[in-house]
Amino acid sequence: MDILQALDAVWAARWPILEGIQHTLFISILSIIMGTILGVGVGLILTYGNRWIRFLVRLYSDFLRGTPVFVLILACFYILSVVGIQLTAYQAGIFALTLFCSSHVGEIVRGALQAIPAGQTEAAKSIGLTFRKMFVSVLFPQALRQILPTWVNTATEIVKASTLLSIIGVVELLLSVQQVISRTFLSLELYFFAGFVFFLINFAIEKVGRLVERKIAIPT
Amino acid sequence: MFKTLSKLGLVAALLCTASSAAFADKLQDVLDRGYLIAGSGSTNAPWHFKDESNKLVGFDIDMLRLIAKGLFDDATKIEFVNQSGDARVPNLATDKVDVTCQFMTVTAGRAQLVEFSVPYYREGVGLMLLGSGKHKNYDALKAAGSNVTVSVLQNVYAEEMVHTALPEAKVDQYDSVDLMYQALNSGRSDAAATDQSSLSWFMAQNPKRYLDSGFGWNPQSYSCAVKPGDQRWLNFVNTVLHEAMTGVEFNTYAASYKKWFGAELSPPKIGFPIEFK
Repeated sequence: MDILQALDAVWAARWPILEGIQHTLFISILSIIMGTILGVGVGLILTYGNRWIRFLVRLYSDFLRGTPVFVLILACFYILSVVGIQLTAYQAGIFALTLFCSSHVGEIVRGALQAIPAGQTEAAKSIGLTFRKMFVSVLFPQALRQILPTWVNTATEIVKASTLLSIIGVVELLLSVQQVISRTFLSLELYFFAGFVFFLINFAIEKVGRLVERKIAIPT
Repeated sequence: MFKTLSKLGLVAALLCTASSAAFADKLQDVLDRGYLIAGSGSTNAPWHFKDESNKLVGFDIDMLRLIAKGLFDDATKIEFVNQSGDARVPNLATDKVDVTCQFMTVTAGRAQLVEFSVPYYREGVGLMLLGSGKHKNYDALKAAGSNVTVSVLQNVYAEEMVHTALPEAKVDQYDSVDLMYQALNSGRSDAAATDQSSLSWFMAQNPKRYLDSGFGWNPQSYSCAVKPGDQRWLNFVNTVLHEAMTGVEFNTYAASYKKWFGAELSPPKIGFPIEFK
């Protein structure tokens, strides 16, 4: 491996690669935020919704979790445009990742809420809390401790899944590195570089997750 | 196999839905819009790739610019849609691009999904030799028989492919193009076999270091493609490419050919049109 030559190639292409990193971050963060908001809704409906709406959301969640992200991305890009909704590759990609993220977060939230002992709900009701108050001050803080570790896992999955957007032509980190490879032929070195940057991004997410986990842990 | 089948299935489903759309006049649509939406990739030199200044360049890109020039008298009135090889057919079917020029090999199977223009390049496999090496051309390689080692990209058909041209040669397979070229440089192999266009490009980048064996095989045609069912648009693309290779735009085509493949083209013979000879 010619490390110096590879670093040279990375340096020469630093602006396009930085732009790729920026796109990867933007796509991931937006998908994770929107997917989490949507996912909390999915989780609430799966836990407290009436039978019909629960059935519909269950279908949504199972369908999305049972489909490869790759297929989901292609579907959002091509099938939507056949029915007349023309999304750009960028928008379609974020849309697909948001849907994927929401189904996973939904299941995480449902599991966490159901793991809270029924006595907590009963106690909250007996002191006269409304559902909103009960959720915000009693259930959600407890659920959060369960949610966080698996949520971090989902967030890193989304960052990794964002590489699949290169297939519909979104120039994220991986594709921007591939563009350098096609000019320099330094495939091994540059793929290693891309992998390392992805590791750094996910490592940072994990560290932030740990920090929040410690903040919300039950004091011992 | 399943992957290919499911891909074809998706494409077929898209085509069924898409072909029910109203009668289209793509040429008029593009003229009204004021710019061409062109599909190509960004990761294959010398066809379509980003140069050091991050500009999209290459032989495919030059062909697309010729079409834009034909439409608007301005080669810059063009918007490139970056697509992977897999996206070439679906992007045409769903009208995400007007035309695709992306080293697309013409096959009868593909011709049922898209309509191909006239070819603008004939790809094949070639052999590259070291200028200072033992063997100077294809005949010398062939005469050397089993004393010749050929480096080639790893592939199920790699061995068979080399043996079509050099039946007795030893075949060493490598993971990537750079390793394959390194094998040639370090003397581990006597020749590197890969796409003629890649070899020509590499030789143009490193002048005088390498030799072409002068032999090519496994021919395939590269054409632009459009969505089926719009003869006027296809005729237009054909006219642009045809005149680039034989008519008024020959100098542009030849300059591009020289830039990416390092070879001079001689102009078509004046007088009787060469294509009917």
